[in-house]
Amino acid sequence: MKLHVDEKRCKGCNLCTLVCPYRIFRPGKRPNQKGVFVPELDRPERCPNTRLQALYGRTLCGMCQMICPDQAISWEEEKKGEKRKVAIEF
Amino acid sequence: MTFSDWLRVDRLPHIYCAGCGNGTVINCTLSAVDQMGWKKEETVFVSGIGCSSRAPGYIVTDSLHTTHGRALAFATGIKLANPSLNVVVFTGDGDLAAIGGNHFIHACRRNIDITVVCMNNMIYGMTGGQGSPTTPRMALSTTTPYGSVEPAFDLCELAIAAGANYVSRWTSYHVKELTRAILAGLRTPGLSFIEALVQCPTNYGRRNRYRQAIDQIEYFKEHGMLVEKARRLREEGKEIPPDTIILGELARRNRPAMGVKA
Ligand SMILES: Cc1ncc(C[n+]2csc(CCOP(=O)(O)OP(=O)(O)O)c2C)c(N)n1
Ligand code: SF4
Ligand code: SF4
Ligand code: SF4
Repeated sequence: MKLHVDEKRCKGCNLCTLVCPYRIFRPGKRPNQKGVFVPELDRPERCPNTRLQALYGRTLCGMCQMICPDQAISWEEEKKGEKRKVAIEF
Repeated sequence: MTFSDWLRVDRLPHIYCAGCGNGTVINCTLSAVDQMGWKKEETVFVSGIGCSSRAPGYIVTDSLHTTHGRALAFATGIKLANPSLNVVVFTGDGDLAAIGGNHFIHACRRNIDITVVCMNNMIYGMTGGQGSPTTPRMALSTTTPYGSVEPAFDLCELAIAAGANYVSRWTSYHVKELTRAILAGLRTPGLSFIEALVQCPTNYGRRNRYRQAIDQIEYFKEHGMLVEKARRLREEGKEIPPDTIILGELARRNRPAMGVKA
């Protein structure tokens, strides 16, 4: 799985930057077509959901998704053959 | 299933301002409803008027977007006409405690089997930021430009005094706890009241030193105190700072309830 921020829904409030224990979200620096500063992702493959969601059959942590007032955060299945990055922090 | 299966995705993004806490409370409520395993056809969301009351419009189930302050009157009607339906009410502080104040206390007195989620932003958001019955002392609003001189209502104390079976308070920062509280409320027969303090960056935050949505969330984080700790401090005769937000389960009891599914 991979972490996905829906640019059509995100309004750039940065609440996700506050709650992520891995500090994966960083305030965006450039506006998108709608003028929204969508957060940048710092090595999103560190999120436990990207590796373990399928194994556990449920969302782990999930703080960013729950606090996001605009329902913009989700995890997507990788396409077949797509390369998958794995990062584990100790 | 997850909470996002209950959303009307064709209606998103919703109209709330950037960083408005109402969206977070929708996530938490839908997550709790999802964990109940309820069927969509058997679940109804009811609301009055206000930003908060627009929430049912983004949910796939049948819903009633009623008149200002009257959500609880309509919800009572639905529940008594068909007790097999699961009824959840979204309301705002103005909707619930100002124009709808009488409906609130009588719904609690009747202890009707519904769950009420109040998104308390401490202001009238939709109409441009007038003071509401929960606007804190000295807070600025368009109708209190020098600071509110009136004491604010404690909605949870009001619900307890009036007879609700389950009462809990959290904020839009405490997403996991809020979800658990709503779930406990959905499971409790009789009226369950969950107050969720939310940030309104546009009409409350901007006028009250919270320039960004995140600033008010930080305030909730720093000023929240668990009810157990508050009770302990009181017993020890220690003082609780006046701007403390008491969080947690404030009442759970078993008064006779109306409209409970047979
Ligand atoms: C009978 C009636 N009186 C007044 C209004 C105007 N009005 C619309 S929303 C609102 C206040 C909403 O405040 P609240 O319930 O706190 O919801 P919020 O917008 O803050 O979420 C008022 C006074 C109305 N729609 N109907
Ligand atoms: S919380 Fe959601 S809407 Fe806000 S910046 Fe993050 S992704 Fe965007
Ligand atoms: S689920 Fe938790 S760890 Fe993963 S990105 Fe969201 S907040 Fe960070
Ligand atoms: S006015 Fe306030 S309550 Fe209404 S949508 Fe904007 S931030 Fe939310």
